[in-house]
Amino acid sequence: MLSEKEREPVSINFFKTNVAFHMKTVISLFVILFAINTVVHAQMERKRADPDGPVEGTFWAPNIVGMGTTEQLSANNMNVTIMHSFGIATNQPVKNFFGMDIPPNVRLGLDYGITDSWSLGIGRTTFDKVVDIRTKLALLRQTKTSSVPVSLSMKADVGLTTQENGRPVGDDLNYFVSVIAARKFGNQLSVQAAPMYAHFTTALLPQGGVNNLFAIGLGAEYHLTDRYAVSAEYYPVIGERNEGTNNAFALALNIETGGHVFQLFLASANWHTEQYILARNNDEFWAGDFRFGFNVNRLFFLGRN
Amino acid sequence: MMKRLLFLIVAVCLAPDADAQPFMTESGHAEFTSSVPLHTFTGTSEQLAGMINLADSTVDFYVDLTTFDTGISKRDKDMRRTLNTDEYPFAEFYGKLVSPFDTSVSKAQPAIVEGEFTIHGITQKVKIEGTLQKTTEGLQAEASWIVNLTDYDIEPPGILFYRVDEEQKVKIKALLTPVEESSL
Repeated sequence: MLSEKEREPVSINFFKTNVAFHMKTVISLFVILFAINTVVHAQMERKRADPDGPVEGTFWAPNIVGMGTTEQLSANNMNVTIMHSFGIATNQPVKNFFGMDIPPNVRLGLDYGITDSWSLGIGRTTFDKVVDIRTKLALLRQTKTSSVPVSLSMKADVGLTTQENGRPVGDDLNYFVSVIAARKFGNQLSVQAAPMYAHFTTALLPQGGVNNLFAIGLGAEYHLTDRYAVSAEYYPVIGERNEGTNNAFALALNIETGGHVFQLFLASANWHTEQYILARNNDEFWAGDFRFGFNVNRLFFLGRN
Repeated sequence: MMKRLLFLIVAVCLAPDADAQPFMTESGHAEFTSSVPLHTFTGTSEQLAGMINLADSTVDFYVDLTTFDTGISKRDKDMRRTLNTDEYPFAEFYGKLVSPFDTSVSKAQPAIVEGEFTIHGITQKVKIEGTLQKTTEGLQAEASWIVNLTDYDIEPPGILFYRVDEEQKVKIKALLTPVEESSL
């Protein structure tokens, strides 16, 4: 048994130890709380305005070459296009100066964004003096988080052959409709598939022609830099096709300059609307039957600046 | 006694005093003006977020660059691509108010902040001059300065001789209202 005198120092020592321990805890707590408070003052959390916004720049222009893309004009934006293709470059190349001496087929067109998702357009093509009216509607847009994995648009075009021929107007009409599904992979590669249907009236058919044409248009664009991209399109016709026609193919170099997109291309077809590319392409790209051409796309803004 | 001491420390550390109360906004105005030959255009955003804490002089502003509108959607897309906003979505400033500010004065006072401005993933030390005004609603902050794109590894867009000027005039204007610490 310890005496009072012996017990007291133990108690004091214990008390001192206990206080020292608690003081350390208190100081630690003070430091932690001060640090927390400082952090609270430090910096705001950065929040994105729209973290799941639409993917942009899937394609640089409304067309790859002739095939419509999911690229949609914004409201009040007008795109002026000059689409120009020469004759076959490999047919007597020196005599025909690589096809440039052969009369070109030119389509001049205007497309206007009614809303951010809907555009209307009109164009005129040299061959057959075809005037066409077209529309494109964005149904879905691929989002950055892939909550919507693809962009989906619907395109329709009605063409009228205005060349004088004595036929009723109804006989000179042709129709086209497609659904375009596209996806951009990373920052550089975009691909699309476009089931398409074209209809020509019997009066417009060449010998051995069919009224209805189906195809799955395939397209891709690869962005080499912010300025340059390469793209390609292919039109495999499914089922019946016009006699003597081939699946059209085109390869393009895109040059983006801000307001313009220039497209320099080699193509088998010398038409610029899908229904005619399906119906009238007699040349075979991989057999060397290709022509040089170019598209100029110029965007104008008609609203507030 | 220890419990009281702990409570006191917690209270001292976490309770805001009047000066410590920060001022914030998420709807400030930010704009930049770009020049190209024979033409200038302005991009604006009304989603400038900012915080000023007079207690420790902290000044913190950021804006999501995708919220800028130049009036032409194609140009907006080009701008976002140039700034690579998918990877670097914000322009931000974080620093300190280094000039004195008297909260008892109601007119606008010159203000100088020093800190780091970051855009396109590049951070540069900057010193920005503007004004700060205590109002009945909070703090009115205004500032303008020049951002040189090449300092931030941004290539001015354009082609050949038709190129956006590398110097961009940036302006901000925001009314920051007092907020409780708990809402931060």
